Amino acid sequence: MDYPVFSLKNVWFSYLGRFPALAAVDIDIKPGEKISIIGANGSGKSTLLHLLDGLIFADKGLVNFCGKELNEKSFNDIEFSADFRRKVGFVFQNPDVQLFCPSVKEDIIFGPLQLGVAKNEIQSRLERFVTILGIRDLLDRSPNQLSIGEKRKVAVASTLIIEPDIIILDEPTAGLDPSTTRHIIDLLLDENVAGKTIITSTHDLHIVGEISDTVYVFGADKRIVKSGPADNILNDLALLTANNLVHIHSHRHKDKMHIHPHVHLDHHDEEH
Amino acid sequence: MRQKSSSNGFIEHSLMGVLSFIKTSLFAEEYALKRGFMQSLDQRIKTLSFVLLIIATLLTKNILVVFCLYLFCLFLAAISKIGLGFFLKRTWVFIPLFSLFVALPALFSNFTPGAELISFKIAGFPLVITRPGVLTVLLFVLRVAAAVSFAVLLSITTRHFDLLKVLRIFGIPQVFVMTLGVCYRYIYLLIGIIENTYLAIKSRVGSVVHYKRGQQIVGWNIAFLWVRSCRLNEDVYKAMLSRGYSGQPYVLDDFRTRLKDWLWLAFTGVILIWIIRFFH
Repeated sequence: MDYPVFSLKNVWFSYLGRFPALAAVDIDIKPGEKISIIGANGSGKSTLLHLLDGLIFADKGLVNFCGKELNEKSFNDIEFSADFRRKVGFVFQNPDVQLFCPSVKEDIIFGPLQLGVAKNEIQSRLERFVTILGIRDLLDRSPNQLSIGEKRKVAVASTLIIEPDIIILDEPTAGLDPSTTRHIIDLLLDENVAGKTIITSTHDLHIVGEISDTVYVFGADKRIVKSGPADNILNDLALLTANNLVHIHSHRHKDKMHIHPHVHLDHHDEEH
Repeated sequence: MRQKSSSNGFIEHSLMGVLSFIKTSLFAEEYALKRGFMQSLDQRIKTLSFVLLIIATLLTKNILVVFCLYLFCLFLAAISKIGLGFFLKRTWVFIPLFSLFVALPALFSNFTPGAELISFKIAGFPLVITRPGVLTVLLFVLRVAAAVSFAVLLSITTRHFDLLKVLRIFGIPQVFVMTLGVCYRYIYLLIGIIENTYLAIKSRVGSVVHYKRGQQIVGWNIAFLWVRSCRLNEDVYKAMLSRGYSGQPYVLDDFRTRLKDWLWLAFTGVILIWIIRFFH
């Protein structure tokens, strides 16, 4: 039977039992799908991703991974836990959190080493990903010495080297220059073509069209406001405005003031 | 007002000076990246050989041998492309000078009797410096200086994360070494947070602050840093779990030894045996 990789039914989560972060969330993610989670700050995007990665667990509702329920008990099973970590990779929003080793090389190979991948296989994967991401010169450096773009690339490498079937990314392009953004998006698209499931949280609408088959929009009440194909969502200006994903932009042409919604959808086709 | 301003400036300079000292002393790897003799050795062999040299320095009772070992250390620093001025400043500034103060009483006949060298009076109290006293103090200070110099030479010619990895060969548990590594990584990050917070406060409240307000700001700053580090701690642990960490860390042992490393180790071993045999 072909299960969805993740299936969430009526999932609720709150921090300390007092601060709601997710409310009545229903999502099904099929293998090989590209999913985007968009929403304003504090709408629950990161919480959802942490839940999908088995780092936190739902207060109420059901989270299934490939037909098996995800809860604290399931991670007590060492075999299941290792299998899950091999299949699901997570790129954290803050690369400083993810890069905790004293050197870049140690950070990149940390995952496969913990998961028991053979040393020669780790070496060959390392070679491949440092070449693809162009970070060979960084290997012996400390993460402290890297720029935000370099840190982000190393964080992506440290996840992809596990060769997970499902790649979860929390705002992978935040604070990056256009060239590095392009590099990371191209890499993710290549991974998707190779059959990987890509789940991305972002409020960078530039990239949503490319990296999404389905987009979920989260509202301020921590619920899914709408979901559907990327084009439908990105063309719904009223929805995007209501959820703080577009802003009202005012500017002056000669003596006349123009005020209109401003959406950043594509770096290349921007006209003013 | 002027006074307040200068005292604020003093605190500011002290704070920034401490942060900058920690950054440069803990994280500068300028010398470890040079292509010198010490830098070319395998980190494990180098650490082991320095342990042997320090033991040899501590065991010898011959002042001339200790002096030769110290000169040998300076020679090693020179062939490792370490500036002599920098090296002497780094090694003599605190510990050997402190040891000189500790050992000073041993100069006098009250503690070390023997042949008189110099005698004088302070406030009518007669003091006699003896020959064995001078030799004892000289041996002690020189021994401390040589041992500290070897330790400093090892630390500045080796990248710090390599030194941490080397701890494993001395049987220190992997989880302890890894915790040290993570600490090392995040001290830098927290220093950055302190610096940025300080600048943010300065940009909003100006450079002159009443001391009561200053106390509040510092208190708030400490609390803020504490909360940040707690949150960081949780997030880093999640990041480790996410990549398969299950309580027992595994690391890649990528040290490589060559003939040169083994010859060097044998040479330092011979020095130790020679000292134990003839000068202990």
